[in-house]
Amino acid sequence: MDFELTEEQRDIKKAAKEFAEGEFDKELALELEREHKFPWDIWKKACELGFIGIHFPEEWGGGGYGIFENALVVEEFCRVDSGIGIALSLADFSSEIILRFGTQEQKKTFLIPITEGKAISSGGFTEPDHGSDITIMSTQAVRDRDEFVINGTKTFITNGTIADFTIVLCQTDFDASPPYRGQCTIIVEKGRKGFEANEIGEKMGIKMTSTAELSFRDVRVPVSNLVGEEKRGFYQVLEFFDESRIEIAAQAVGIAQGAYERALNYAKERTQFGKKIAQFQVIQHKLAEMATKIETARLLLYKAAWNFDQGRIDPKLTSMAKFYAGRVAVEVTDEAIQIFGGYGYTTEYEVERFYRDARITEIYEGTREIQKNTISSAILGKLK
Amino acid sequence: MGDVFVLAEHLRGELREVTFEMLNKGLKMTEDVGGELYAILLGHQVSHLAEQLKGWAHKVLLVDDPQLENFNSEPYQVVLSHLIKHRRPSLILIGHTSFGMDLAPNLAVELGFPLITDCIELRWEPAGLQATRQIYGGKINAQVSARESDGYLATVRVGSFSAEQGVRLTGEIETIASPLAEEIKYKRFIQYIEAAIAEVDITQAEIIVAVGRGIGEQENIAMVQELADALGGVVACSRPIVDKKWLPKERQVGTSGKTVKPKIYIALGISGAFQHVAGIKGAGTIIAINKDPKAPIFSVADYGIVDDLFKVIPVLKEKVEALKS
Amino acid sequence: MDIIVCVKRVPETAEVDLAIERDEKDIVKKDLVFDINEWDNYAMEEAVRIKENIGGTVTAVTLGEEDSRETLRRCLAMGADRAMILADPALQGSDAYATALALHQAIKKERYDLILTGVQASDDGYAQVGGILAEMLGIPHVTMVTKVDIQGKLAKVRRELEGGLEEELEVELPALFTIQTGINEPRYVSIMGIRKARGKEIRELMVKDLELTEDEVGQKGSQIHLEKVFLPPVEKEAEIIQGDPSQISERLLEIIKEKGGVI
Repeated sequence: MDFELTEEQRDIKKAAKEFAEGEFDKELALELEREHKFPWDIWKKACELGFIGIHFPEEWGGGGYGIFENALVVEEFCRVDSGIGIALSLADFSSEIILRFGTQEQKKTFLIPITEGKAISSGGFTEPDHGSDITIMSTQAVRDRDEFVINGTKTFITNGTIADFTIVLCQTDFDASPPYRGQCTIIVEKGRKGFEANEIGEKMGIKMTSTAELSFRDVRVPVSNLVGEEKRGFYQVLEFFDESRIEIAAQAVGIAQGAYERALNYAKERTQFGKKIAQFQVIQHKLAEMATKIETARLLLYKAAWNFDQGRIDPKLTSMAKFYAGRVAVEVTDEAIQIFGGYGYTTEYEVERFYRDARITEIYEGTREIQKNTISSAILGKLK
Repeated sequence: MGDVFVLAEHLRGELREVTFEMLNKGLKMTEDVGGELYAILLGHQVSHLAEQLKGWAHKVLLVDDPQLENFNSEPYQVVLSHLIKHRRPSLILIGHTSFGMDLAPNLAVELGFPLITDCIELRWEPAGLQATRQIYGGKINAQVSARESDGYLATVRVGSFSAEQGVRLTGEIETIASPLAEEIKYKRFIQYIEAAIAEVDITQAEIIVAVGRGIGEQENIAMVQELADALGGVVACSRPIVDKKWLPKERQVGTSGKTVKPKIYIALGISGAFQHVAGIKGAGTIIAINKDPKAPIFSVADYGIVDDLFKVIPVLKEKVEALKS
Repeated sequence: MDIIVCVKRVPETAEVDLAIERDEKDIVKKDLVFDINEWDNYAMEEAVRIKENIGGTVTAVTLGEEDSRETLRRCLAMGADRAMILADPALQGSDAYATALALHQAIKKERYDLILTGVQASDDGYAQVGGILAEMLGIPHVTMVTKVDIQGKLAKVRRELEGGLEEELEVELPALFTIQTGINEPRYVSIMGIRKARGKEIRELMVKDLELTEDEVGQKGSQIHLEKVFLPPVEKEAEIIQGDPSQISERLLEIIKEKGGVI
């Protein structure tokens, strides 16, 4: 048993911190947030330095590290700026499906541009009628000789309007029982005829990240865009969720840490009633609770990520990490605003943005309720 | 025993102020233990400087050689070590300047003398030389002592001692034949390079708003520019801002930048390292805003605000604009 | 071109409220963040740029405690090819002279055309190691360098004087330059760099490997001894203005008007 990061992991964490502190600019973040723009320049630099796709093998332009190291990078990015951090963390969203299940050709075509800062990826799973429930898809892919013809609508799709390609979960076998055994994932590049992406509208947070509704009208893609086996789409996506939940947990821990540090510094500087507010026990206890929660969430995150890299995929553990880290992020950012008082409610002190951005970590990639379903079914097994 | 050498520093035909500061200090040090004060002048065709130094030392040692025309640590070291070996002073003072920093460490090794650099105070103790110097960018003082030795070297921080003449001495000039036998060629002076012509001349400004490390990010300079505009002033900065290329070199205030003399100098997020402070000695009123209550800038400022500059600046700017309209 | 860069791990103190240890020998360091000395980071970047332009090798060397390996790993990730650490406990407490002596013993057996150090370290700020090391090695040196241009066996360099003035010099190699901040824009450490650093060597040298005795290094071998550290006496105290931003601004306005501001 060893609770310390390795030297290399410490170096990665430090490199991510130095980059984020040097490049993530508060004024720029406020501007990008206002204008709902993706941080393109910072993303390019992050790719050049190898932060994006750090968990891809070197063969595909990656760093050859695991998702543990990816989690360290995401945590540091989100600690420095929740909005920019999340946007960068999701720049390669869903590309892991190609990484785990794709052909060599697909990896070369789609993964290398991700690491080179030439492409953004996206995953289309959620549908207007099927949010948390992906066991049946209304989006259909029908085989027509050497092509698939796709029809349907996806919603709440991260990176939808900026992605160069989207991995779309479709129903291909309409007779399969249960239906999820008849699903597949297909890569749809932007610009395919009949494909359209539109922003879903104003959101509470993650304003630098595109969230879109995608519509597919007789969109034709070659059969070579099918990822893995035709009947395995549902299973691929479930496996991907184990991975992506760790990433979201890392976002949550980073956001919580960033808000906590801001509140801590403020408490040491702010004077009220003739004392630094950090001298009041009520503030001290808040900080103690925040620090404890973050530490607990981080331990869960690290254990889940470490397990994944050991080849042990444990949905219960990844769901625990995501559920708990998300909760902690919301609670800690909430307390941070409280410590800042009125100033915390203004955009200038950032914690309100951290709070709004934290809130999504309890929703996307499976709501906290879905995580609890996964955890409880693992604990209880099939009840008779 | 007890003699003090002061290396006269001159550039383009003029003695630099640190020379007189060291001569004043050197005189006190000779008075403490008995001994003579020597001004050491190395150069080419600098007899007018030797005349100037006469009133400040018991003796002026002049070495004239074309190789000494522009400062170059190599010939300087040869000549100085020659003089020191013959005259055996107890202490050699050199400015902690670009010249001095290039020369002193090497000279100390050659002579086998202990060297204390960047001193702000010096005194004789029974065991030898003791000095006060600043560490951690001027935030902390350190008292250090050198091991026992027949001779000591010290470089002295500019501005640590007064340059105003006390007693006028009547030193004599002794010209010494240059010991430089052959041309020293490892390091050859080519030319001086002047600072680029400034778009904004901060040396002439009456109101300066200066930013330092505490500004955090380049984008924040815009906010400071707005305040400067509202006040009818200009934006200047400390060294870290120029190193990051956030503002051009001609906006830098301090030893390696410009010396300014505005009526009002507002220092934002500037800690107040001596290199910066040296450039604002002529300022009328200094206002400093810094989060660190122990920042050295507060001991040179007239008014201080211990707070986050980002909270104060926008409000101040609005109030200035409101007042003007 | 074989380049050796001397680096030091120091605490970041620029924006920290420092306190002094009870024994008055040092500041309280336990909560400080340590990283490569700022000047050394520029020196390291300059070395890597020269290597990238004209080929060669870069070796990073440090004297410090075992923690300084972190700083060397950073140098390796930035592009150094190998590193040496002088972490013998007997070396701790060395002043600039003893440090330079140990570095000299480590470096004199190496191949080099160029040695780079920072102008000074942000902790003790002696600005001596470079000059002493050059003198011991018997090679020319230039301090406060702001530009390096290698031309075969010669280097054309610029060094900083006061008041914005610089001088240009021509120096025969091998030579030692102390690098001033702002000479370049140091790169960020990349993931690829960290990965490559894994396979690079960090050689550890003990006092006996340096062919020195324990009396020649550490405090015993030092020329300068630290007696005590203390907070600078307050010679003049600024009048501190308190209040909320609005009250502070009102008072500032009064001062600005009174002192001749053009409002």
